[in-house]
Amino acid sequence: MKINALLKKLFNKTDSKDVAKKRLKFALIYDKLEIRDDMLGNLQQDLIEVISRYFEIDKKSIVLDIQRSDECSALVFNTPILSAKRIQEQPAA
Amino acid sequence: MDGKVIVVTSGKGGVGKTTVTASIGAALALQGKRVAVVDMDIGLRNLDVVMGLENRIVFNIVDIIQGKCKLKQAAIKDRRIDNLYLIPASQSHEKNVIKPENMVWLCSKMKKEFDFTLLDCPAGIEQGFKNSIAAADQAIVVCTPEVSSVRDADRVIGLLYARNITPKLIINRIVPKMVESGDMLSHDDIIEVLSIDLVGLVEMDDKVVVSTNTGTPLIMQKDSKAGNAFQRIAMRLDGHPDLPIENPMDQKGFWKRISKKFSRKN
Repeated sequence: MKINALLKKLFNKTDSKDVAKKRLKFALIYDKLEIRDDMLGNLQQDLIEVISRYFEIDKKSIVLDIQRSDECSALVFNTPILSAKRIQEQPAA
Repeated sequence: MDGKVIVVTSGKGGVGKTTVTASIGAALALQGKRVAVVDMDIGLRNLDVVMGLENRIVFNIVDIIQGKCKLKQAAIKDRRIDNLYLIPASQSHEKNVIKPENMVWLCSKMKKEFDFTLLDCPAGIEQGFKNSIAAADQAIVVCTPEVSSVRDADRVIGLLYARNITPKLIINRIVPKMVESGDMLSHDDIIEVLSIDLVGLVEMDDKVVVSTNTGTPLIMQKDSKAGNAFQRIAMRLDGHPDLPIENPMDQKGFWKRISKKFSRKN
């Protein structure tokens, strides 16, 4: 066993358990990001509703997506703003 | 005082839930507690054969819930270990005959009769799992040092948290030689990934197969490493939570320790 470990170090081989650990960590992150199909749609509806109180937006060119990279993941919401609403037009909430 | 209901679960199948349930149950009974182990795998019962009680089944858990018999009539008494009882699963029913509220009712009755009720949860996260966790006070999650098993354990841990249960982990089938050579996830790796407290580490042990072959309790085999580990887990569950968890090691040789210290520094 000891000799094996030494050989591994000499040839700079990574332990297979380190590969396992890395794969596991990513798998768990991705598992947790999995969302139901209708969830993004509902979120988009809610976001439009809130933003529309303050801005005129182009509802047709809205993009809502989850972007993933190795390091992190982000919820990206992209909407063109046409104009800000006048203060008196704001709902009295 | 009411007893405790502990669910033994894993998500993935074949990691040793049934062996864990049978062994911890036997160990707790040998420590003088009144213990019932319940096979929750309706349609695919196994705990009875592992415990060597398959020839004595008359009634099962579905019969109790459907009112066809009393709890005491269905509980099979182990003849080798005092105070150890098995409630077998039904082999002929569909999984869906039991509902979570049935389990809440059954467990409230069992708490009056037994100090510990161990529920052997089926694999998966469907009806059988939902039934098993519905009435549990505590949970033990079993995993092996494999990617697939740890991933499923993470899922199950999440579902237990959602039910306000903080589970504890048993890592089963550790091969110390492989851990030391870097070819098996160590318990530290697994704990780091899952961020959960351990309740025991169990070494791979051929005696588990032998004891299952013959249907004799593993912990009654004197020099079984896994059996000893289960006994210590039982003590941790029963009033000795701080009993140290031993790390299974290949050999306790001088050179092994030296090389281990050396590799840690790197």
